[in-house]
Amino acid sequence: MTQVELHSLSGAATPAASEIMLDVQSLVKRYGSRTAVNGVSFQVRRGEIFGLLGPNGAGKTTTLEMIEGIRTPDGGTALVGGLDIRKEKRAVQRIIGVQLQATSLFPELNVQETIQFFGAVYPKALKAKDLLALVNLSEKARAFPQDLSGGQRQRLALALALVNDPQIIFLDEPTAGLDPQSRRMLWDTVLSLRERGKTVILTTHYMDEAQVLCDRIAILDQGQIIALDTAAGLIGRLGAQSTIDCKLDGGAQASEVSELPGVTKVREANGRFVLQTRQMEPTLLALLRYATERGSALTDLQVRTPTLEDVFLDLTGRELRPEQA
Amino acid sequence: MATFFSLVRANFVMVLRQRAVIISSLGLAVISVLVFGYLFGDGGAAKIQLGVVDQDHSATSAQLTSQLQHNDSLAIAAGNQGDEQQALKNGKRDAVLIIPAGFGAQLAGGGAGAHLMVLYNQSNPVTAAQTKLAISAIVDGINRAAANQPGPVTLDEQGVAAKNLRNIDYVAPGMIGMLLMWANLTVAVQLVFWREQGITRRLAATPLAPIAMITGQLLARLLLSIAQEVVLIALAVWLFNIQIYGNLGLLALVIVLGAVTMLAIGFAVSSFFKKSQAANAAILLVSFPMMFLGGSYFPVNGISGVMGTIIHALPLYYLNDALRQIVNNGAGWAIIQTSVLVLAAWIIASLLVTWRAFRWQ
Repeated sequence: MTQVELHSLSGAATPAASEIMLDVQSLVKRYGSRTAVNGVSFQVRRGEIFGLLGPNGAGKTTTLEMIEGIRTPDGGTALVGGLDIRKEKRAVQRIIGVQLQATSLFPELNVQETIQFFGAVYPKALKAKDLLALVNLSEKARAFPQDLSGGQRQRLALALALVNDPQIIFLDEPTAGLDPQSRRMLWDTVLSLRERGKTVILTTHYMDEAQVLCDRIAILDQGQIIALDTAAGLIGRLGAQSTIDCKLDGGAQASEVSELPGVTKVREANGRFVLQTRQMEPTLLALLRYATERGSALTDLQVRTPTLEDVFLDLTGRELRPEQA
Repeated sequence: MATFFSLVRANFVMVLRQRAVIISSLGLAVISVLVFGYLFGDGGAAKIQLGVVDQDHSATSAQLTSQLQHNDSLAIAAGNQGDEQQALKNGKRDAVLIIPAGFGAQLAGGGAGAHLMVLYNQSNPVTAAQTKLAISAIVDGINRAAANQPGPVTLDEQGVAAKNLRNIDYVAPGMIGMLLMWANLTVAVQLVFWREQGITRRLAATPLAPIAMITGQLLARLLLSIAQEVVLIALAVWLFNIQIYGNLGLLALVIVLGAVTMLAIGFAVSSFFKKSQAANAAILLVSFPMMFLGGSYFPVNGISGVMGTIIHALPLYYLNDALRQIVNNGAGWAIIQTSVLVLAAWIIASLLVTWRAFRWQ
């Protein structure tokens, strides 16, 4: 085991941006009569953060585990860094980093020893000290995994995923169950990985997370990809409209408001206006000008843009996270 | 190679930090040695009550009786067969030695047909075993004398000294065996725990081969066992002057073999459990009776019937037997051969079961 310096994490020396790091073709996994993953195909380029978004049981984890070599696919293949996972599993596993949905570790090894243990498994490994600094866990080096908070444990799991300075990193629900502050921290770390030229594939069922982090998103439902695009592309494809909700006093007229640019629909009740628009910004500017010119007080202004939640609802007719909706 | 060394070291740290394993193996063995050494240390030196029935009335039989009377570990009562057998039944004798008529003549004539009969009191297995040891050593002495030199029967004094066992002398090798059982069968709990917790699943996403991790764990436990045995034996020798009559290299070999046997069995057991708590309960359920039936604390050689059959199926019985033969009797390879073969059979059978049934994830 050779120790390499942390700055080599940033050493992805200007790769061809279009280089395909992950090529998944028609992956299939069956459990008895149930088909958990039913012909999933996608490609991820170097330096991308790619998201698999979908409800629980959609097949996200199973898809990842087949690519990571934990499960054997019943059909299809995955080329990881150009290597076939079915034929060169160990070689693939040397260049990938993995964070499972729930990472349980040896209760007898402290944080630093755990990182060293995982490091020893690879031909090359980063120093525990540097990794701990990277995931902001330096002060917990001597703590045992079971004494860490949920957020700290996730950060340790992330450190373990990075221990071999991998080219491709798989994160399975990296922020599940974390408090908002810990989530933000993890997002920052993931975004910094992209800056270092790493390729990241993550699963989530938080649409805001997918929207903030992911360059492209595949929406998975019942073992199949039902849409794949950038967040903006997915939302744009909906043809969805933004909603502006406000109060206008001083006799503003619905007929006048509906004349504003971009507005497609206006509802009015007791001075409360709800506008639908295809072009949110011009409409909003025009609305402000209209209120000023009329001398109407504009209060309680709310602007809602469509989200991936709306996209999922539109595609499947179901909520993405019914339990939290 | 460096990777493998790291694996063994990490596994060693893991085992070292499992206090329950250390306490139940080294802790239990040390406490037992201390208790038997300080409280019952001399108990075994209580004289064996031996009834001698001389039906021969020859010079040889008189000589033999006299030799027996000079043995410190024996208290001799002479009498006729009926009285002595009654005394044995009443528990007043531990054994009765019958020297049949013609014994002296047969011995003088080259020894053909010469035999002694011994009746044991089986109600106290400790004494029965000690009596057996004592008498067989005497017979051994007679045989050697008959084979090598003419003249009166003499006893092998060293053999006699070796069999004058204190309780602690008997218990110490039993503790060596017991320690190996407690320290190594629990590997089953460890492996099931890894699988149950999903630790093996996380490892499956790395290039680490399961066999490397398992070997690391087995080697770590083997090293820990050896270290614990060194502590235990040093303590027993230092505090209670335990004599190791046999070859130290052979003793070390049997200790390693015993550890590997227990590890292999633990490995096989881990194939059949999904919950580490259930595996733990099963190991306890097996270990606790085996600790006694395997003869760690008291001899079980004389027990017959169903219990005897069970005892003779236990790996710890053979391990303890081999250890005791080496430590107490100075036995060489020939004597412990059977025990070693039985342990080897246990290893092979366990590995076969593991090969068929074990799942890493």
